[in-house]
Amino acid sequence: MSLVSGPGRAQVAGGNLPNELQLAVEKHVKYIQSLDTRKDELEYWLTEHLRLNGVYWGLTALHLLGHPDALPRHETVEFVLSCQHDNGGFGPAPGHDPHMLYTVSAVQILVTVDALDELEKRGKTGREGVGRYIAQLQDRDDGSFAGDEWGETDTRFLFGALNALSLMRLLSYIDVTKAVAYVQACANFDGGYGVSPGAESHAGQIFVCVGALAIADRLDLVDKDRLGSWLSERQLNNGGLNGRPEKLEDVCYSWWVMSSLAMIGKLGWIDKDKLSKFILQCQDPELGGMADRPGDAVDVFHTVFGIAGLSLIGYPGLKPVDPIYCMPLEVVNRAVGR
Amino acid sequence: MGRYSEAEEWADITPIAQNDGGPNPLAAIAYTEEYSEAMGYFRAVTARNENSERVLDLTEHIISMNPAHYTIWLYRANTIFELQQTNGSDLQDDILEELQWLDNLSLKHLKNYQIWHHRQTLMTRLDRIPPTELAFLAQMFAKDAKNYHVWSYRQWLVRRFALWDTELPYTESLLAADVRNNSAWNHRWFVLFGQHVDPRSGKGLDELGHIVDEDLLDREVGYTEDKIRLAPQNQSPWNYLRGLLRKRGSLVECKAFAEEFVGDVEGEGEGCRSSHALDFYADCMAEEKEAEKAGKALELLAKRFDPIRRNYWNYRRGLLGLGAVQA
Repeated sequence: MSLVSGPGRAQVAGGNLPNELQLAVEKHVKYIQSLDTRKDELEYWLTEHLRLNGVYWGLTALHLLGHPDALPRHETVEFVLSCQHDNGGFGPAPGHDPHMLYTVSAVQILVTVDALDELEKRGKTGREGVGRYIAQLQDRDDGSFAGDEWGETDTRFLFGALNALSLMRLLSYIDVTKAVAYVQACANFDGGYGVSPGAESHAGQIFVCVGALAIADRLDLVDKDRLGSWLSERQLNNGGLNGRPEKLEDVCYSWWVMSSLAMIGKLGWIDKDKLSKFILQCQDPELGGMADRPGDAVDVFHTVFGIAGLSLIGYPGLKPVDPIYCMPLEVVNRAVGR
Repeated sequence: MGRYSEAEEWADITPIAQNDGGPNPLAAIAYTEEYSEAMGYFRAVTARNENSERVLDLTEHIISMNPAHYTIWLYRANTIFELQQTNGSDLQDDILEELQWLDNLSLKHLKNYQIWHHRQTLMTRLDRIPPTELAFLAQMFAKDAKNYHVWSYRQWLVRRFALWDTELPYTESLLAADVRNNSAWNHRWFVLFGQHVDPRSGKGLDELGHIVDEDLLDREVGYTEDKIRLAPQNQSPWNYLRGLLRKRGSLVECKAFAEEFVGDVEGEGEGCRSSHALDFYADCMAEEKEAEKAGKALELLAKRFDPIRRNYWNYRRGLLGLGAVQA
């Protein structure tokens, strides 16, 4: 899946907008399908290090749009398996080093297309090998997770670990109690969470921290009123959401802010109509795809988070999304056995 | 016609072609030739595990085209350390040279993760902070004073080299330049209250059990109030003030301060200069069991000063046993 931006451009605010904005479902499907045919563009290769994430973003968007078969399943599984290493981890593309972030995307893709059996049969390792790769990235003293053997830590990696392991039902491989304690150490005076203890609250980091607590079944540790207040303050008058105080709105925060609000049961604290209008203004209704904000070039990353955001606020015709995993709700229910 | 295929220095290397992963590799990939050629040589040197000066040149070239390719960065860091071992050169000098190169790159690629991880990997090998380091970070903040990567790195640096004493005046200079810089407010908290926290202990910042310094809290409350007076509709210092007062368990000591900005809170809110002040005032009133007064402030927020969040303000009214109001 290519991370190439464009060719579409989101509508320009204040331009000739129809009164009733509609989600251009068919255009978005075509846009995502077209991404893999753009291998003649340099940007395709410069974003190779995100390829597997890109497949997850595109595939998830297609499932939420109700077109789960729009990408060929066999090729998708083959590509994912071709990114695996002998140690169980996955790189973003063949020949790239394994890393937590790609391993999580690989698991999410395989679960979404119900292909864990194929991993078991044809992967370099089966599911338990993948679980062991993830588990050995945990620091057993403080509970945090590194992204790879080089040791960079980030709450994104901790969430990724809980996410992928729970989808494979292998949470027992890690020290969940210590992971939870580490997330708590990242809680800030304003009710939010940051990338590490003491780091500034940021909506993306809040999503991963609250998501980790949700998977660990420890949402009781969250000060929901205080966090919900901070999160709802992210909505600006144009309806869009930003990620920190005094920053610009961006479609991807529609997902990170709202999914966090959904997990703590406070989704009603933002104005859904205004947000829905903002997201729809970020799509290119002719060529498909969504951008970070009106007027900018579209890409698959903002496309999936825009669509997932619309799904979460109940936009008609979309499949329900799971707020913790950012995957189709029915897929997650099947995987974790809810 | 390649930079490498034509060079004598690289004549011993046969580049390894891209494997694009699928069972049906694409016939024609018009990858730009320069990038494609360099990657072919990179695959070849990694296959033979070569760490050399020319590998540094090669990785520099690839990074100049694609600074987000993290495998390249890892290999480069490793090469620097291996080369130093082989040559017996001065590690400090090697690192300072690398940092100089990195500085220019960082100023060009503001949103890149790998650059900062690489910098941290290098800095881990030094016993003292290089004299130019803080000046470089100041340059970064001059471009974007809220850059999350740079702030995370700076916090790591402060802990690594125990720079606590000089950081407080630094946050003051940033807040003097922009009182709405939420990153600077957060950093101030980190410097004052994070100093006593072992980031590896798994304990929350507020829960370490170290004695709260009352004089410090008084000073910070005063400092924050002064900053709020400069721009009352600025959520960062209000959050900071609430954080301070939470350590004491009550907001009420700053009730009179909040009243400076709420305007005609018993009427229609004429003269109100800050929705955050109204919010704060409502919490003070709730704390003092003045539900009606608190509810009135929340009504003004829901109807007039922050209607986009009316559901939240109505939730707060509900906590006081009051009904919802329409925007």
